[in-house]
Amino acid sequence: MKRLGPLAVAVVVVLALAVYPMVGSGYGTRSVLQVFMWIALAGSWNLISGLTGYVSFGHVAFFGAGAYTAGILIAGSGWSWPLAALAGGLAAGLLALGIGVPCLRLKGPYFAIAMLGLNEVLRALVSYFEGLTGGGNGLSLPTLDATVPVYYAMGLTAVGVTVAARLIISSRFGLRLMTIREDEVAAEAMGIPTFRHKLLAFLLSAIGPGIAGALTARDQGYIEPLSVFPLATTITMIVMTLFGGKGTVWGPVLGAAVLFVAQELVWARYPYVHPLLFGAIIVAVVLAMPRGVLGLLQTKYRLPRTI
Amino acid sequence: MDVHKHFGGVHAVNGVSFALERGRIHGLIGPNGSGKTTLFNCITGLERLDAGHVMLEGERIEGLKPWQIARRGVGRTFQVIRVFPELTALENLLVVTTGPHETARAQALELLSFVKLEGLADEYAGNLSYGQQKLVEFVRMLMRDPLLILLDEPAAGVNRTLLNDLLDAVRRLRDAGKTVLLVEHDMKVVMGLCETVFVLDHGEKIAEGPPGAIQSDERVVEAYFGR
Repeated sequence: MKRLGPLAVAVVVVLALAVYPMVGSGYGTRSVLQVFMWIALAGSWNLISGLTGYVSFGHVAFFGAGAYTAGILIAGSGWSWPLAALAGGLAAGLLALGIGVPCLRLKGPYFAIAMLGLNEVLRALVSYFEGLTGGGNGLSLPTLDATVPVYYAMGLTAVGVTVAARLIISSRFGLRLMTIREDEVAAEAMGIPTFRHKLLAFLLSAIGPGIAGALTARDQGYIEPLSVFPLATTITMIVMTLFGGKGTVWGPVLGAAVLFVAQELVWARYPYVHPLLFGAIIVAVVLAMPRGVLGLLQTKYRLPRTI
Repeated sequence: MDVHKHFGGVHAVNGVSFALERGRIHGLIGPNGSGKTTLFNCITGLERLDAGHVMLEGERIEGLKPWQIARRGVGRTFQVIRVFPELTALENLLVVTTGPHETARAQALELLSFVKLEGLADEYAGNLSYGQQKLVEFVRMLMRDPLLILLDEPAAGVNRTLLNDLLDAVRRLRDAGKTVLLVEHDMKVVMGLCETVFVLDHGEKIAEGPPGAIQSDERVVEAYFGR
């Protein structure tokens, strides 16, 4: 009986979101699609940074890598977009492995800065290899109205990331990731191979953004270096996760939904103060509830880890 | 083992050699800065040796990573408590093992009741008192059933009752065949508990022997009180 409540809510929410594109407006569908994207991005960032404490300041690099992988495969090689989206996730995962091996040996701020650098390097590379990527002129994909199918694909991606977070956080693997955040030296001395754990978490955290980037490329039909590698996207996923509660399952979902809606409302009415307000939210969250909304509730009401 | 470690030009540990006997409690003493903790870090792989070797059960372990050394059977506690504060007491123990979840859970609960903390299993470790955290750290190290137990100042900041429980636990582990090496400043503890004592000064071993003999050793007295 106790478990029926949340399950019923979940079924209703999933059904409502599934029918929404058939009854909602184009603007509404596009907005929900964006929320899905932010859930996938924030939830993925949470897997590496929320759990291990290794703050990735360039996570949008995986989004961009996925977008360009898919863009090139669709525009250049004529792949279908669902396959290209999977390839985008795979490419982002491989990139994470390649980058993780040297960078995850760095500690604290050095890792954050290395990731920031990675993003800038990728953006520069994409601009440089014009033959493949179109350089600064961008890359146009063949016209296709795929908003509704992309909506479902993005929804699946968001669900996939959240389910993965749920499984990881309720497992001893997830707890071991948290020991890295709590005290990496003690974790090592207790026999936990921290490097391997970080690398696996980093790999998993790159796949969601890779797929989301690929789907976004398909949906927008045009990508350019500045549109898929913006630092602001990394910052937004960080803020959403911190707001909802880092290290929790539903924190990034809550943060993505609440902040996206807030952003839309404020942006529509006060376009100039929008960045100001966003900055104010960051400061307020860090000061008033450093563990985020769910983190606060979790400690206060002794809720299980898997919220 | 035979350990050399220097930081820049400072020889923190300069050719200290000693052997530990299975099933005995060994003490490691020396003035502040004599290299005791550095020696612990060399044994557990947190510091790389500049020269020398560390043998465990006939195998060299000095080049291994800390987690590999831990898995070979070396458990330790730290001078400054290093529990995982945002994990519960139970989770602090659970993360250490790799076996099936139910077995690990049963083992963790048993160890927590060994130090009378079973009632606080689901409390965040960071919310526990200093002494309780020390106990959590102590039993966390036991989760892997280590052969060699390194304790860095187990008596520091612990009240008498708790200390006696802790010392009892160490004796019981010794009786179960564990080898113990502990760094301690409290001489009553060292003299009452240890069967062999090593004395370090300026990164060198200056004495070794049963506690009674150490107490009257001229070089030891000199290292502690000056000439």
